[in-house]
Amino acid sequence: MLELLAIVLGGIVTFVTRAVFLVSRRLRPPKRVERYLPLLGPAVLGAIAIPGLLAPRGEVNLVDTVPAVVAAVVAWLAWRFTRQIALGLLAGLLLWWAILAVMVSLGVER
Amino acid sequence: MTPPAPALTDDDRVRAARLAGLRAAGIVVLSYIPFGIAAGAAMGATSVDPLISILSSPIIFAGAAQIAAVQLLHVGAALALVVVTVAVINARHLLYSAALAPHLADWSTPQRMGAAFLLADPVYALAAARFDVPGGGGSARERRGFYFAAGLTCLVGWTALLAIGVVAGGFIPVWVPFELAIPLTFLLLALPLIKNSAGLVTGAVAGVVALLAHALPLGVGLLVGAVAGVAAGVLVMTLTERADREPVDA
Repeated sequence: MLELLAIVLGGIVTFVTRAVFLVSRRLRPPKRVERYLPLLGPAVLGAIAIPGLLAPRGEVNLVDTVPAVVAAVVAWLAWRFTRQIALGLLAGLLLWWAILAVMVSLGVER
Repeated sequence: MTPPAPALTDDDRVRAARLAGLRAAGIVVLSYIPFGIAAGAAMGATSVDPLISILSSPIIFAGAAQIAAVQLLHVGAALALVVVTVAVINARHLLYSAALAPHLADWSTPQRMGAAFLLADPVYALAAARFDVPGGGGSARERRGFYFAAGLTCLVGWTALLAIGVVAGGFIPVWVPFELAIPLTFLLLALPLIKNSAGLVTGAVAGVVALLAHALPLGVGLLVGAVAGVAAGVLVMTLTERADREPVDA
């Protein structure tokens, strides 16, 4: 019962963080701030994505970081030319697995 | 984007928008398969009632916060600590709420509340990429069609993946490394939102600072990174606007 209560309360606080600026049409960020709103997406999504790309297993080192960054660049290129997220993801993952396979065959410890 | 042919009715356009939302979110759900099942398996290995672990998806609908909440319940943390942890991890949604508000201004209050409930990371990213363009992603009905199709697809998909992980997690061997799937997905979700040098600097600074600050507890590093990124982006916008103005002033 306590567990369910904790989850429900967690759901309520999450909903509040998401609803704050959507509750009332009048509660809007000031005009001066509004032109900076398009920066929020790159900021939060960059903060989620980049640590995982530079340190896929928690720390920056050659054997983890280099293959991941190469895969990210190729994913970006694939997206740039096709504008398809799925193709970017597929290209990045396939290349990453290929690099890892080559590393294994060369005896590089990961 | 090509202009719609005259024969296309409003209903046709709403249907197309729904389909686009479903398709875009479907790709996100696919990329979440490894992480969703792994997260479910981790929850299934705790002492928390499996049903409650699964219910955390439709109730909280935010992966990292759900995992943290279930882990804290497992170690017997106090109720208040669980709730505060979830609030801190999900504080970034305040930013999504602010960024999306102008695009949802012509929706009714219940519609905006429904949108708030579904405002998880990928749902925000898909909606922002669709609405932050000239034309704003079409009529209010088209935007709603896209948003709720994408949001519900993510909600149902995420809940299903987590449930599979909770129920069957122990039986699923790990054949292939997948830890890059989520960061790559978020990179690809961020790219359409980067429209100029300010956006690029924002994303890069946010990412590097978040990495440097990743040891901070409760995922606060992510928030620190996002705030640093926005500050850098505002600086770039200010500098480029000043540079644009100067020849006129001279």
